[in-house]
Amino acid sequence: MLKSILLTALTLAIALVGGAGSVWLALDRDFGFGTVTIGNWTAFPDHGTPAADPYSRARFSREADLALGRAEGLVFTARRDSDGRPLLLECRYRIHGSLPPARFWTLYARDADHRVITVEGGRAPALHSLALLRGADNTVATTVSRHAAPGNWLAVAGSGPFSLVLTLYDTAITSSARIAEVELPGITREGCDG
Amino acid sequence: MGRLVHALLLGLVGAGIVHIAVLLLVPAYSERDAWSALSQQANFYRLVRLDPPDAPPLIGSLDPLSDAVACRFDLTDGVMQLHGEGSAPYWSVSVYDRTGLNIFSLNDRSSPRGRLDFVVATPTQMISLRNALPPELDESVFVEADIGEGIAVVRTFAPDESFEPSVSAWLRGIGCTLH
Repeated sequence: MLKSILLTALTLAIALVGGAGSVWLALDRDFGFGTVTIGNWTAFPDHGTPAADPYSRARFSREADLALGRAEGLVFTARRDSDGRPLLLECRYRIHGSLPPARFWTLYARDADHRVITVEGGRAPALHSLALLRGADNTVATTVSRHAAPGNWLAVAGSGPFSLVLTLYDTAITSSARIAEVELPGITREGCDG
Repeated sequence: MGRLVHALLLGLVGAGIVHIAVLLLVPAYSERDAWSALSQQANFYRLVRLDPPDAPPLIGSLDPLSDAVACRFDLTDGVMQLHGEGSAPYWSVSVYDRTGLNIFSLNDRSSPRGRLDFVVATPTQMISLRNALPPELDESVFVEADIGEGIAVVRTFAPDESFEPSVSAWLRGIGCTLH
C-alpha cells in the first residue's frame, strides 16, 4: 500500500516537475524551431508574428513586446563569444567582420535583466552604421569594453553577463530563404579586468 | 523493480503532456502585454510615446536609437488613418493585433515620396472604400488587416541627439484618426 502511494507520488512528481521545468528551461534558453543561428548570433525571424512556433509564442507573451516586422528589420542577439564563453562586462571584446546589406544597423548591449546598458557622460548607448570607422575592405571592427578604446568603441558599464544586440533595419535578408548563409561579425575576447 | 520502471515511464509520459499543456497555456495566462501597458497611458486613437524621455521605455525591446509612438485603434468603429506631415530620416510602421502579434509592416521606401499616410481597414471595409473612396484618403496606402482591436506603431531613427528635436516633432505631428 505504502509502496503504491510512493510510486504514484513519484510519477506525479516527475510529470509535474519535469513538464513545467522543461518548459521553463526551453523558454529561458531561447529554444525555438524558427531560430536562425549565424556564428554567435541568433535571430527569430518569426518572433512576435502569427507564424511563430509555440515556444516563440510563449516567450513572446512573457515579454510585453511589440516585435519588429519583416519590412522593418531583424534583430540578432549574441550571448557568447567565439570560444563559447558567456559575454562578461568585465572583459574587452573585439567585434570584427562584414555585415549583410541593410539600410543601416545598430549595435548595443543589454544587461542580464535585458535592460539597455547606458554609460554616464552622455555617450550614445549604441553604435550605428551611419557614423562608424570602416576598414579598407568595408569590414567593421569595434571594441566593446568598459574602458575607452581607439577606433570604434561601444562603451558599457557594470559587471556580470550581458548580451549584444545587432539590429539590421530595412534589410533584404528577412524576406530571403537563404537567411542562414548571411555572414555576421565574430566576437573575440581580448582580455579581462582583474 | 518492474513497478518502479513502470512508474518512471508513466512519469515521463506525464511530463510530456504537462510540457505541452503548460507551453500552450503560457500565452493565455500572461498578464503583461503591450496592450495593457498602452491602455494605462492613453485612450484609443491617442499617440503614446514608447520611449518617454524621463522614464523607462514601455516596450523593453525598443532600440535605444529609435524613437517610436503607438496608438490603439478598433476597426469595428471604422477605418484608421495614420497620417504624418513632412518626413523623418527613416520611419517604419507595424500593425499589431490585440495580443501584440505583428500582422503587417512597411517602411518609408514603400510609400510615395516617403510620406506617412496610410489606412488600416478590414477586408469588408476595404470593399466599401473601393466603391466610394473619400477624397481625404485618395493618396493613402491601404493596408488590409482582418482584426478588430489593434495597435499601430511608428518607429523612427535618431542617429544622435541632434536629431531628437526634429524627429520628436515629426512624431508629435502624426495623426491617428478614425474615419
